[in-house]
Amino acid sequence: MSKTWTIVRRELQSFFDSLTAYIMLVAFLGFSGFFTWISGNDIFFVGQASLQSFFSIAYWTLFLFIPALTMRQLAEENKTGTLEMLLTKPISDWQIVFGKFLSTLILIVIALFLTFPYYFTVWSLGPIDHGAVILGYVGLILMSSAYISIGLFASSVTNNQIVAFLLALIIGIFFHVIFGVLSSSLTGAAGSVFDYLSMSTHFSAISRGVIDSRDIIYFLSIVVMGLMGSEASLAKRNLN
Amino acid sequence: MKSKKLLLPYFLLLGGVLILLNVLANRFFFRIDFTDDQRYTLSDATHQIINHLDDPVTVTAYFSQDLPPDVSRVRNDFKNLLQEFHSVSHGKVNYEFVAPNENSNTEQQAVDAGIQPVVINVREKDQAVQKKAYLGAVIHYEDKTQVIPFLQPGSGMEYALASAIRKLTVKNKPEIGLIQGNGEPAKYEFPQVMQELNVLYNVRNVTLNDSVYLGKYKTLILDGPKDSIPPEQLKLLNNYLAQGGNLLVAFDRVDGQLERSRGVAINTGLETWLANKGIQVESSFVTDASCSTISLRQQSGLFSFSTQLQFPYLPIITTFANHPVTKGLEAVSLQFASPMKYTGDSTLTFIPLAKTSRMSGKQHTPVYFDIEHHWTNKDFPLSNEIVAGLLEGKIAGPANARMIVITDGDFAVNGSGQSARQLPGDNINFFVNAVDWLSDDTGLIDLRTKGISSRPLAKIQDGKKSFLKYFNFLLPILLIIIYGVFRAQRKRWIRIKRMEDDYV
Repeated sequence: MSKTWTIVRRELQSFFDSLTAYIMLVAFLGFSGFFTWISGNDIFFVGQASLQSFFSIAYWTLFLFIPALTMRQLAEENKTGTLEMLLTKPISDWQIVFGKFLSTLILIVIALFLTFPYYFTVWSLGPIDHGAVILGYVGLILMSSAYISIGLFASSVTNNQIVAFLLALIIGIFFHVIFGVLSSSLTGAAGSVFDYLSMSTHFSAISRGVIDSRDIIYFLSIVVMGLMGSEASLAKRNLN
Repeated sequence: MKSKKLLLPYFLLLGGVLILLNVLANRFFFRIDFTDDQRYTLSDATHQIINHLDDPVTVTAYFSQDLPPDVSRVRNDFKNLLQEFHSVSHGKVNYEFVAPNENSNTEQQAVDAGIQPVVINVREKDQAVQKKAYLGAVIHYEDKTQVIPFLQPGSGMEYALASAIRKLTVKNKPEIGLIQGNGEPAKYEFPQVMQELNVLYNVRNVTLNDSVYLGKYKTLILDGPKDSIPPEQLKLLNNYLAQGGNLLVAFDRVDGQLERSRGVAINTGLETWLANKGIQVESSFVTDASCSTISLRQQSGLFSFSTQLQFPYLPIITTFANHPVTKGLEAVSLQFASPMKYTGDSTLTFIPLAKTSRMSGKQHTPVYFDIEHHWTNKDFPLSNEIVAGLLEGKIAGPANARMIVITDGDFAVNGSGQSARQLPGDNINFFVNAVDWLSDDTGLIDLRTKGISSRPLAKIQDGKKSFLKYFNFLLPILLIIIYGVFRAQRKRWIRIKRMEDDYV
């Protein structure tokens, strides 16, 4: 575990030493803050003491920003050759992948943490449903984990960052939109399978304030699939 | 993983395990409800109702199959709800699902039972098709049935089901008297209230005269008298209260005549009768910054258009007492109300049930409505004016009596004919909760307001609003930029330090 932490620390440091973290955080907070408070379906326009408008914005902003964070992670190490160096160290592939996953997740948690002023402001203005808000954040974190693992997988199969970014978006858009659209126009078993696969079904189920073991299992399955996939494509280069 | 050849089987295995896990998770699952009001968990009132069943209840749910998932989610939600009813009632509540679109036989059965089909758009073989969908249920108990023609998705389902079961199983419904004869609206003019009241009570028309025995009524309702009430009728009400009766009074002390732009006082004799009991209802209009709008037609050249105007004479009440009558209420909109206060002694208990907001005022009659008036904070010098209250104790005689007074006679009246309108749910809830509490039947109070999720933001001034907007927008961004600058500075110091000669 301490080895994983070393990777997490190194990754976080490199996030904050480069401009990546700042651009990502400022862009995320700027977009989310703008549409939550100033324009569109903002909180004062809706007039309800709930963070639902923030959650529905963050549902999209996170979807777009996470691939930008993960695209670099394995692809660049691969391209510059530092991955070879890393792989010669006494660290397992799993520790590398998991460390990178955790570091990105921590960055997302920091980003969400910085939106706590929204919560306190709305709280001071009306009777907010705390359970729904907390689970809204939990839902965002679970959804982010799923997209981070997809992004890591995309980054592990190529050494081109742009390709990694686009690949992550393409896989992501299926979960984000396409399965949902398919499910609304199909009936029967196929419809319900697509409905189950759709990210928004599970996200909205959690963010209304109910934790359901089915939703957790769904998100964790995507995470496990993505991380195992990345680990395997790292391992592939050592196999014949 | 020792070789590339094993990679594919490995992933097939992993995928298989994950799919199996997800399928199993759909069979065996648990949920924890984190919402403040436990919106997605069966409430105590439902437990009460289904724990006291003598005979089994059968629910036949008519749900079309092959519907898009967003519609069939209603079916799943309802099935989950029935499952919980089944387990809570220890098997007393049973259910079956019938698919009306399977053959014409079952469809006829659904129509005969009174289920109303709804039309939805489905995409079938690359074509948009309109389909008839049935989303209803019939509840059988002994030889009686009750129909829920259309199930609204969401938490309203629990109330629909529990109240339908309650309707079937309740024995000897108490009698409620609706006082008529002095210009009060008739039963058919408040269908929304009557629909709710009929679940638990028999509502009868009552004319106050000597030949009527009032004692058999659990509660009397005096809503919106237009004509003056003869003193002998008020005396009968006094006798009723003296014997421990319960009375709900909702009346207009003032009359807003919008078409003539003026508001006048109404004298029915009720106000003096109430004043004798310590409840003073002023002949003035309350105004409130939190209010409904009216639409105003304006003519500009050839064009006429309508604008929505805030009209503070129609207050939206959001401040309620912590009391069973007002529990769970969020917003009740009134049409012209008057302020009241209690001046009686402390032998009786008076509880203010509903108050105006912190920014409110009052205007004495007669009032001329100035539509163009620009309302400012100066117009709202008062705060928390009482518009509904409850009086309990020996009001008119030896026995304990209860009385609820609301200073608006129309807030729960839909009206009739052309002027009929749909009322907000909380208006109805307030009225029916009051009757429930007066009749000592608090079972469904909890359920009625459950899952109504209006959580209005407090009214704040524009300046504070824009401050909060930009504060929330900019603060997180500033924090992260400040941290970035700080970190860059620190790195520069370290670098400078390293360049110094004595750095080892």
